Amino acid sequence: MSETWLIIGGWVAAGLTIFIFSFLYKDNPFFKIAEHLYLGAGMGWWFQVMFYNIWKPKVWEPVKILVNGLQIIQSYHIWKPEFWKAVWTAGDWTIFIPTLLGLSLITQFFQKISWVSRYGFTFIMGYGAGLVIPVSVSTDFMTQILGTIKPLFKVGTEMSWASFFYTFNTFLIAFGLVCVLIYFFFSAEQKGLVKKASNIGIYFLMLYFGAAFGNTVMGRFSLLYGRFDDLYKYSSVKYFYAAQIIAAALAVYFILNHFISAKKSRAAQDNSGS
Amino acid sequence: MLEKFLKIDRRIIFLLLTLVLFIPIVKPLNLPIGAVSVDTKKQATAIVRHCFKKDLRVGVITFIAGATGLIEEIFEKVPQEYRKEYGKDYVIFPYQADYSAVLTQMGFDLYQIYDKDKFGTHPKNLPVMQGIKSYKDMGMGICITGTALLDGWVAFAGDKFKFPLGGGVTAVSQPGYGPYLQTGQLVGLLGGMKGGAEYESLLGIPGKGTSGIDALNLGHFMVVILILISNIIIIVTRYF
Repeated sequence: MSETWLIIGGWVAAGLTIFIFSFLYKDNPFFKIAEHLYLGAGMGWWFQVMFYNIWKPKVWEPVKILVNGLQIIQSYHIWKPEFWKAVWTAGDWTIFIPTLLGLSLITQFFQKISWVSRYGFTFIMGYGAGLVIPVSVSTDFMTQILGTIKPLFKVGTEMSWASFFYTFNTFLIAFGLVCVLIYFFFSAEQKGLVKKASNIGIYFLMLYFGAAFGNTVMGRFSLLYGRFDDLYKYSSVKYFYAAQIIAAALAVYFILNHFISAKKSRAAQDNSGS
Repeated sequence: MLEKFLKIDRRIIFLLLTLVLFIPIVKPLNLPIGAVSVDTKKQATAIVRHCFKKDLRVGVITFIAGATGLIEEIFEKVPQEYRKEYGKDYVIFPYQADYSAVLTQMGFDLYQIYDKDKFGTHPKNLPVMQGIKSYKDMGMGICITGTALLDGWVAFAGDKFKFPLGGGVTAVSQPGYGPYLQTGQLVGLLGGMKGGAEYESLLGIPGKGTSGIDALNLGHFMVVILILISNIIIIVTRYF
C-alpha cells in the first residue's frame, strides 16, 4: 500500500473513531454519518465475503467444472451406460443439493411459494440439532458435572501445600455448587437449613457476577484503549496530525452549534413574546 | 452538596476516563506487571512468536471472515523475525464459514475441507503439511477469539477427538471459560490484555510496552474510587 493511501486510511480511521465517540457528548450529524457508514460498509463487506469465499468457490467453480466436463463428452448415445457414466463423472453433482436447499430460503420473500423454504430450514434445524445436541450433552453437561465431583484427596500423594489447596478447591467447588443448586431448588420451602444453604449460594453467585462484571469492565477498557492507541498513532506528524485536527474541528462545530442554537431559541422566544 | 456528586454529568466521567487511558499512552508510567498485549491480536502474536521460537510448525485457520486481515498483519511481520518460510514452517488456510462441519471433518481428513491454502496451492504439496492429516497428527490447537468460537473448538475438536486445546479470549469471556480449564477440557487459557501480558512476561518476549497495563490499572483505579466515593456519599446522606 502506498504512503498516500496509508495517510488517507489514517484520516478516515481517526475521523470515524472521533465521530462515533462524539455521541458521548451529544447526538450530532457526524455521529449519524459514521453510524450509517458503519452499517452500510459492514453489509457490503459481508456481501463480498460471502460472494468470494462461499458462493464462488463452493458453488460457481464446481458448477463451472461440471459444465466444462459435460461439454467434452463426445458420445451422445443416451441409451449407452458409458454416456451416463461420463455425465456422472463430469463433475460434482452433489453440489446441487446444498445449493438448492440454500436457494429455497430465498422463497421466503415470495408469499405464494414461501412453503419451499421449509425444506431449507428443516435441513438446517435437523443438521444443527444432530450436530450440536450430542456434543453439548457431553461437553457442557457430563464433563462439567464430572468436574464438580472430583475426589477430595489425591490417593498416593504426600501432604503438601499443593495437595492441601487441591482438596480445598475441590471441596469449595462442590460446596458452592450444592449451595447454588439449593438456591434454585423451588420444590422445598426456603427455611431452616435450606434457607442458610441458599443464602450461602447467593454469595457464590455474587462472587461470580462480580468477577464477570470486573472482567467485562476490563474488556471494555482494553477495547477503548485500543482505539485511543490508534488515535495516538494517527496524531503523529506522519499522518499530518489527523486526530488533533479532526477533534479540534469537531469541537469548533459543537461550540458554533451551541451559539447558533442559543441564538435561534432566543429568536423563537422573542417571536412568541411579541 | 454531596448529593450533587451523585448527579454529576456523566460526560465529566467520560472525560476523566479519556484522560486516564490516554496519559499512559503518551507517557508510560511503568506500573507493575510485565509487558502488555492490547487484545486477542497481541495474544495471537505472542503465541505465534512462541511457536516459531520453539521451531514448531504452525497452521492457521479462521472462521471469522474479518480475522483474515489480522492474520495477514501478524504473518507479514513475525515470520521474518525468526526467518520462517511460508509453506515450509507455516501455512495459512482460507476462511471457512461453517465451523462445526469444518472442526468435525478435521478430525478425520482436513484435506476434504481445505483443498487449497490461501494462495490456491494444494496443502498436501507443502512441506509444512507433511505427515498431517487430522487432529491426531497435531500437537495441539489454540483458538484465539473474541467470540464464542472456543465453545465450538472444545465441543467439536477437543472433547470429541481428544485434541489438546488452549484458548485466548477477551477479558469479558474469561470467567465463562474457567470451568473448561478446571475440567481439563482446556489445557491453558489467556484472558484479555492481562492474560496476554502475563504470557509475554513468562516467555520473556518483549511486548509493546507497559502503556496498556498502565491505562488499565489507572482506569480500574478510577472506577474503584468512584464506586467507593458514591457508596460513602450514599451512606453519609442516608444515615448521618
